[in-house]
Formats: sequence, structure tokens, C-alpha cells
Amino acid sequence: MMLARVCALVPCLLLAAAAAAQEPYPTRPIALVVPFPPGGVADLTARPVAAALEKVLKAPVGVVNKQGAAGAVGMQSVATSRPDGYTLLLALSSISIIPEADKLFGRPPAFTVDQFAPIALISADPTILVVPADKPWKTAKEFIEDAQKRPGQIAFSSSGVYGTLHMAMELLSHAAGIKLRHVPYAGAGPALTAILGGHVDALASGPAVVLPHIKSGKLRPLGGWGDKRVAALPDVPTFAELGYRGAEFYIWAGVFAPTGTPEPVLAKLRDAARAAVEEPAFKAAMDKLETPIVFKQGEEFRRFFEADARRLGEGVRRVGKVETQ
Amino acid sequence: MAETLGNLALGFGVALSPPVLFYAFVGCVVGTLVGVLPGVGPLAGISLLLPATFGLDATRAIVMLAGIYYGAMYGGSTTSILMRIPGEAASVMTCIDGYAMARKGRAGAALAIAAVGSYVAGTVSVVALMLLAPPLAAFALRFGPPEYFALLTLGLLVLAYMSSGSMLKALAMAALGLLFGMIGIDQMTGYFRFAYGIVELGDGIGVVPVAVGLFGLAEILATAGQPTPPEIVKPRLRELLPSRQEWRESAWPIGRGTVLGFLIGIVPGSAHIIASFVSYAVERKLAKRPEEFGRGAVAGVAGPESANNSATSGAFVPMLALGVPSGPIPAVMLAALMVHGVSPGPLLVTQQPELFWGFIASMYVGNVVLLILNLPLVGVFVNLLRVPYPILYPSILVFCILGVYAVNSSVVDIWIMLVMGALGYVLRKLDFETAPIVLGVVLAPMLEMALRQSLAMSDGRYAIFVARPISGALLAGAGALVLLGLRPLVTRTLDWRARLALAAKGEEHP
Repeated sequence: MMLARVCALVPCLLLAAAAAAQEPYPTRPIALVVPFPPGGVADLTARPVAAALEKVLKAPVGVVNKQGAAGAVGMQSVATSRPDGYTLLLALSSISIIPEADKLFGRPPAFTVDQFAPIALISADPTILVVPADKPWKTAKEFIEDAQKRPGQIAFSSSGVYGTLHMAMELLSHAAGIKLRHVPYAGAGPALTAILGGHVDALASGPAVVLPHIKSGKLRPLGGWGDKRVAALPDVPTFAELGYRGAEFYIWAGVFAPTGTPEPVLAKLRDAARAAVEEPAFKAAMDKLETPIVFKQGEEFRRFFEADARRLGEGVRRVGKVETQ
Repeated sequence: MAETLGNLALGFGVALSPPVLFYAFVGCVVGTLVGVLPGVGPLAGISLLLPATFGLDATRAIVMLAGIYYGAMYGGSTTSILMRIPGEAASVMTCIDGYAMARKGRAGAALAIAAVGSYVAGTVSVVALMLLAPPLAAFALRFGPPEYFALLTLGLLVLAYMSSGSMLKALAMAALGLLFGMIGIDQMTGYFRFAYGIVELGDGIGVVPVAVGLFGLAEILATAGQPTPPEIVKPRLRELLPSRQEWRESAWPIGRGTVLGFLIGIVPGSAHIIASFVSYAVERKLAKRPEEFGRGAVAGVAGPESANNSATSGAFVPMLALGVPSGPIPAVMLAALMVHGVSPGPLLVTQQPELFWGFIASMYVGNVVLLILNLPLVGVFVNLLRVPYPILYPSILVFCILGVYAVNSSVVDIWIMLVMGALGYVLRKLDFETAPIVLGVVLAPMLEMALRQSLAMSDGRYAIFVARPISGALLAGAGALVLLGLRPLVTRTLDWRARLALAAKGEEHP
């Protein structure tokens, strides 16, 4: 059985190696798989990335939306695709959450993180904590002290159970020793609607979507999850500054290839990604989305990715299986 | 008022400039096309064209995407009426009476009524959008999980109470739909339910494969199973337009559908399909001869088609006034705005008056374009009925499969559609109405989520449903409806449902 599998793999690998040795990469169109529907953060990041890569690599790079099961469908399809550099993945932080959640429920995992070779980190947006402006808390400290007094009373909305916005809040709760009440919604949009309607008391969110509501005075920012303050909100402290360690959280986007992609191809892709983020058109596009470009590649990206995966894995295990009353 | 008129003048200045007019036209044409193609709905159309709008300026992009959205609501009725295949999910109700009309040779009339109803609803609801957006949006935000739960409960009871034929059968079908809707990841805990290791089932069963299977495939199977092919009523050219009586009978349904659709569209999270279901139920209840529903009642086309169109404008209310998406389509359009550096939110109207008013004005223009586009097409589409069945039906099958696949690029969806087609065929043979299944599939996740979110908010106390004024009032309405439904048991009078059954019997034994 094992032997058969190895035998089947050998010609594949040989072919891939031969292709890498002979053909200059790339010679045909590259698919950048986005495991989420069009219009979401991942999709909006992927399109300028694809356009910039296309310019650098001089080959067409097409965005393919393969949504489903919170991204698991698309990620799984890339994990099992031929590692030749013609199928790439643009993933968000959730790539390290899904396998942990699968493990927790004893499901055969749809994929594991070692099935991906990290190429480059494109952006990393720290989430910020917002509360409705008519709530009494003026600072993060007041919020956390109140939450300590009334465990399980303050409710927050999230994009879904084990979703990015849930995990951010979970990391903070653990660091600050508080317990909040979780009301999951189906996506970040409905979670925002819930706090604007006053149905919940708090939300962790990417800065871009809540900035207009902060400006119009409906929401108040209390703190940020990043290692630096958010540029648009210089008066809002980070939780690290306030002394809550280990709560660091980013919604990041990175490009991956399936493990086994030949090293020369990976090297070429890393260089292309570096050149791509320098493209003025790419910078302008990300600027409009108010998403900061944070570029990391090679070892540096691997370290960031592994530290992030470890924090999130711990977070998922700490939440455990959610039992509702 | 004067200010509004001044703003509107500014808007028309933007909307009538040749480039904006051009993109509105392109949007309307694409919208009509995705509406006509079974399976492919406005979401797929907008998603596909989203990248193409990145090169345009924000106003042109949003005008084009909006054109696709409301254009699809016009096109959706076409295949529903001609072939009993919903062009997009919100047209499910049109299948029933629209197709019955087509079989009687009134396809042209049904298509024309649908187009005119859509036009009236589209235009009137834009006026409402323009004048009422800010206060209505604030009201819509007060709909939290408990209010949704109450609204959906009330909706289900209204539909059960107003369904024709056996109430038991209708409820059984709705329950079956609700059960199908349970498949997939449990949003509150992350457990997979009934997925059997198929990753695609983790997202649950989509409404498109269910609707196309239950209506389209079942119809094809049923026709193929007949010993003699059904006689095609070839439409005559002078019969394309609705008669005076048909106009009279559709006037009020169009008006009521417009108001209902707009109100339902505003509530974030509700779907157009709900607007058309409610409109259909209301029309049947108010009709002088409810027994005609299901056999080609023109009101059964006019009401729902108007409702799904004005729901589109309703859905723009929270999006434009608050920057809050009321459903997946407005969410994609908000993303399109963000790509152009326009931050949607409560300040949009004051900061980007040209975009806001240009958008509003373009909807007036777009609806006129769609009416002009769709009325002549009635003549073209009706001729499809002349194509012989052995050619027409296999081609429809191909389009159904392509359309369903296109939504998620998922082969699993095609299998779901095929299974639903077989199920729909069996249920038709057994005289079950299949429309409540579609509604159940749509409502199940929303109903369950709303219930459990409410209980998460209240820490498990059920009092939350009656303590909040809006949800309390809605639930009181639901309770009253249950009592009304029980009345015939007590007073022993025949209600309209019993009269309907008698009428049906009279028809069978003349």
C-alpha cells in the first residue's frame, strides 16, 4: 500500500523536478486560489496581488474564488494540488485555526499547515476593540475592570465560532483574566450590524470597516491588538502597552504554495512577491482598502506564521468545544 | 423637500451623463441575462463582474453593479413563467401561476405584467429609498436576533395559514425544508451536522440547487413521463399583451407587493424570496377567487414579482444610510465602494453627494431602461415555447446544470440538484406543494441562529422574546394567527380553505 503510494509519487516528483530544471518558470497561467467569496478581505487583497505578480512574472495570474466551509474547501484543494508553482493560495489567519478545530472535534483534518510552503506575508492588520458610544466604558481599563466584576455579562459579537474575531477576543480574555459572553454571527458584516444596533456591547474588528462609524461617533475604540498603534487611531493604546501580554492578534493575508514545490520556483515566487508589493499600483490599491502592507518572506514569514499558529492553536484548545445551554 | 429636489437634480446630472448612462445600461443587460439563466443569480453576476469594475470610478462601478442586481429581478421571471424554472431564487413563487398562465396561452401577458410590476415597484421604492432612508435604517438596526426570530415565526405561521390545499401537507413540506436547512456546520458550536465527511456539505444546502431541482428538473421529469407530450399553446402575436381585465386584477397586487417588498427588504438578513412568498400568500388571502391561485391567477405573478423588485431598493436602505450590508449582495457592493477608497457609512450621503444622488437617479433611469428592454423581449422569449420538447428540454437541463455549477463551482451542488429533482417528481405525483420546502431551506439557518443568538444574549432566559417591544408585538401577532386558524374548529363555519376544497371538488365532478 505504502509502496504503491511511493511508486505513484516518484514519477510525479521526477516530472516536477524535470520541469523545474528544464522549463523556465512560469510558462503558463498561474491560479491564485482565494478560499473565500468575492468582495471579502481575502479577495480584495488577492486581486491587486495577482495584478502585481502578473507584471513581475510576465505570466497571467488569475484569481480563483473557491469558497466553502469557512475557507476549508479552497485551502484543501490547494493542499492537494500539484506542487508545481502554478496553483497558489492566498490565505488568512484562519489557515491555522481550521486544522486545530478539526482536531478538537476528532474530525479527519481537511488539511494540515505542513501541507503549505509559506511564500510571503502581504498584509497584517491588528484588530481593534470597539464599543457602542453610549456605553459607559471610556478606556480599555474601565472595560476590563467592569468585565472582571461581572463575568459572563458583557456580550460581544463575532464573525463566527472559532472565527478570527472570536479568537481575538478569546486571546484578550485570557490575557486579562476576564470572561465575556459570545454571540456568534455569520460573518463580520452581521457582527458589525449587531453592535451598531446595540444588541451586543463589544466587537473586535479590523480597523478599516469600523473607522467610518468611529468618525461618525457611533462607536468608541478602546484598544488595539497589534504591537504598534493603528496609524489612523494614534490615541488608542495597544493591549501590549496596557500590560496584557500574549494577546497579540492580526488578521493577516499571505501567499502559500503546496509543500513540495521545487525550491527554485519558490525562490522565484518570493522575489516576485517582494517586487510586487513595491508596485505603485499595488500600494495605491491597499491604501484605498486602508490595509497596511506588512511584507515578510522566507524565514521571517515562517517564524511569524509559526508563532501565530501556536497562539491560535492554544486559543482554540482553550475555548474547547462550545456547549450551549 | 426643495433640498431633496435640488439633490435629485444633481443626481440626474450625474446619472444622465453618457458614461454613467452607459454603465447603467450594461448593468441592466447583464442583470437581465443572469436573471434569465437558471441558477445564475445576481450574486454570481455581481461577483463575476466585480473585478471588471476596479478600473472604473466609484459612481460608475456602483451604478453598474446595482443595475445587475435589480436587472436580475426583471429577468428572473422569464424562465419561471415559460418553463417553471426559477431564473433566480426569488422567482420561485412566479413559477406557480406564471407557468400555469403560460400553459393557457397567456405567457405574453404574464411576462408583460411581471415587467410592468417590476417597473412600478422599482420606481416607487426608489422614491421611498430617497425620502425615508435615514429614519428607516435606524429602525432596521433595532432588529436584533429576538426580533428576527419573532418575525420569522410570524412569517412561517402566515404562510401555513394561507397555503392552499391541505394545511398539514404544506406544514409537512415546510418542516422537510427546515430539516434540509439543518445540514451543515452548526454556527454556534462549530459541529458539522449530517455532513458525512463531505466538506462541501459543511456550508449546508444552497437554495439554488434546491429550487432548480424541485421546480425545473421535476417539471422536465413530469413532462417526459406523460404518455402524450403536452399540447403547446402557441402564443398568437396579438395575445401578447395583457387584457384589460388582467391589468385590473394586477393593479392592487402590484401596489401591495411594492410596499411589502420594500419593508421586508429593509430588514437586514432577510431574503427577497421571503418578500415574494409573503406577497403571494397575501394575494391569495385577499383574492375574491382564491381557487384560481395555482391555476394561472395573474395576481400570483404581479404581487411576488413586484415584491422582489422593491425588496432590492429596500436592501439598499441600510447599505447607503449606514454602510451596513443587509445581505450578501449589498456586502459585495460595499466592498466595491471600499476598493475605490469610498468608505461606506453614515457619512456617505454628506461626503459623497454626487455618488449617492447619482446612484439614486440612476435607479430611476435603470428601471426605465429595463422596461424598454424587457417589453420587446416578451415577444422573443415567448417564441421559445415554439421549440419542440425533444430539443427544448435537454437544452434546459444543460443550462440548469451549468447554472447550478457556476454558483459555487461545486459538483456536489449538481448532485443536490439531481436528488431534489427526483424528490420533486415524487412529491408532485403525490400532490404535495414543493414551494414550502424552498422556503424552509432558506429560513432554517436564520431561524435557528436567531433563536440561539437570542438565548446567548439573554443567558438562556426566554423572557427576552416578550420583553423587547418589537419582538413582543410580532409574537402577539403570531399568537393571534394561531387562534384564527383554530376558529373553524370552534365555530364550525367553513373558512376559505374549506370553500377552496369544495370548489376543487366541484371542478373534478362537474
